[in-house]
Amino acid sequence: MTLPAIDLRDVTLIRRTQQELHYDIKRTLLNLTRGLRRNVKRHTVIDSLNVRIAHGEKVGIIGPNGSGKSTLLKLIAGVLTPTEGVVEVEGSLAPLIEIGVGFDPELNLVDNILYYGVLLGHEEAVVRAHVESILEFAELVEIRDQPTKTLSSGMSARLGFAIATEFRPDILLLDEVLAVGDERFRRKCGARIERFWDAHSTIVLVSHDLAHIARTCERVVWLDEGKARFDGDASTAVKLYLDSVPESKSFRSGEDLIAMAAASENGELLIRARSAEPEAKIFLVQDGHRRKIGADEWYGWSGFSSYEVIMVDEAIIEQIPERKTDAEGAAEEDAVT
Amino acid sequence: MAAHVTSQVLSVERTAYVQRFLRLTRISALRSLKVRYRGSALGVLWSFGNPVMMTVVYTTLFGTAFARYYDGSVTRYLLSVFVALVIVTFFMSTTSEALITVVANGTILNKIAVPPAVFPVSSVAANLYQQLLTTFPVVLVVAIVVVHDPLRVMLVPVVLLGLALLTTGFALVLSAMYVFFRDLSYLWGIVGFIFWLTSPMFYPAEVVPDRIRFWFNINPLAQQISAIREVTLAHGSIRFGLIGISLASGVLAFAIGVWLFRATRRDFMDLI
Repeated sequence: MTLPAIDLRDVTLIRRTQQELHYDIKRTLLNLTRGLRRNVKRHTVIDSLNVRIAHGEKVGIIGPNGSGKSTLLKLIAGVLTPTEGVVEVEGSLAPLIEIGVGFDPELNLVDNILYYGVLLGHEEAVVRAHVESILEFAELVEIRDQPTKTLSSGMSARLGFAIATEFRPDILLLDEVLAVGDERFRRKCGARIERFWDAHSTIVLVSHDLAHIARTCERVVWLDEGKARFDGDASTAVKLYLDSVPESKSFRSGEDLIAMAAASENGELLIRARSAEPEAKIFLVQDGHRRKIGADEWYGWSGFSSYEVIMVDEAIIEQIPERKTDAEGAAEEDAVT
Repeated sequence: MAAHVTSQVLSVERTAYVQRFLRLTRISALRSLKVRYRGSALGVLWSFGNPVMMTVVYTTLFGTAFARYYDGSVTRYLLSVFVALVIVTFFMSTTSEALITVVANGTILNKIAVPPAVFPVSSVAANLYQQLLTTFPVVLVVAIVVVHDPLRVMLVPVVLLGLALLTTGFALVLSAMYVFFRDLSYLWGIVGFIFWLTSPMFYPAEVVPDRIRFWFNINPLAQQISAIREVTLAHGSIRFGLIGISLASGVLAFAIGVWLFRATRRDFMDLI
């Protein structure tokens, strides 16, 4: 029997929730004097999961928000260690989890490539040999010596994609972000990902795009509250999933998104437009309105793993009434009076 | 036989891990050095200028008053202040820089499997490298010129090694604790100031009343200062005890740092 590429045996992961992130020494001491003990809140993200993926298999992971899909990728990537159980990975591994966010803004492109390449586990000399080809793919050769802070968010996403996909890994972990940039560049990304599909790479893909998963994966694991509800044939899994969750059809209308936001833990929902434009359009849905999130604000948030973004067609986003920013609202009022 | 094979596999794995850790630490330290020197070409000079300027200020203010504790020599006072300042400024600037590193690299730690200790350790490495180019050689020169004792001069790197271990231990503890207590930087600023005042840098240890001397010696920098002065400025037979204590406190702080960092790792990975 050959060894599987990825083997999760009875994996359970219990994490601390981030609700108590606001804690500081001052407040802890204050609470202690009041006799309040700080209760650490924990919850089970992955619940005795068994998944075994053979070399060359293409596996899709589906499930509602908060079902543990991205966490599963982090466990496979070794970013998180399971509370119980064993995660075994055989072969080189490349994570592609929202890459491009962790660049050092002060370093130039070449230094950032070297830095990231080594972080990803390659030797510096190897990364150095790939610098040209990475810059070429990202189409950023001319500005190689500029600090990375001068890049637009689209450009830095292009660079992140180019670095992560440059080194042919045995195992590729994809978290939603399949293609970045404008339409032409997205096609280029698609072609590069295709190459992984054609090669004998093992691929684990997390996505809300069920049609894409059904088309490209042989096998699908459907996660629900950290448990595998189904593991098997892709189209069967997608069909079962769609039948089971009425909300999953809700992406079809703006009203459903508003309802979903209201039902969520903090009353907020992040959605991202499926758009051809290079700049990512991200909105926060709250109290029945949507508000556009600027790139700066978004980078601040994306560090928090608890935020998940749902990809929605632009036409559906248009259905949600837009909330003016305070400045715009004031300006409008001025115009009226 | 099987057990033997397993232990061999483990030792190979351990070597690979250490190699990867060092590679990551190196590239991460290079990153912060590059960023630092992009800002100003005077970066190297600055790390040198800080203790030098302080020495000048302290000597001007207290040099004459305290000279009698230093065989009546203002120069000896000046050198004594300088070597102590090198120790304390290195410790303070490195720990306050390392404090935020785990949180600051949270996005990377959430995406790529990197041992989180790489970031505080590389912060120490970058600062160490900077001092190896600037102040540390000067301390060595002071020792060579003043003590005329090859053994003392050879012990200078040993004392600096103890300092590096002490600093790494504090860097590990602080960077891990900062994940849980985001106002730790303010507290550390205050503690740092207390360390600064209670380190016998610009005043002779003799002026501290005996009954509170014990509390002054709790300050981990006090031992480091005594040790560096012993190898760069003192005469007579070497008091190895001072050097031993400073090295031991460095090893102890390092061990505590590694232990605490490991013990809290799982929890802080959930909070960054």
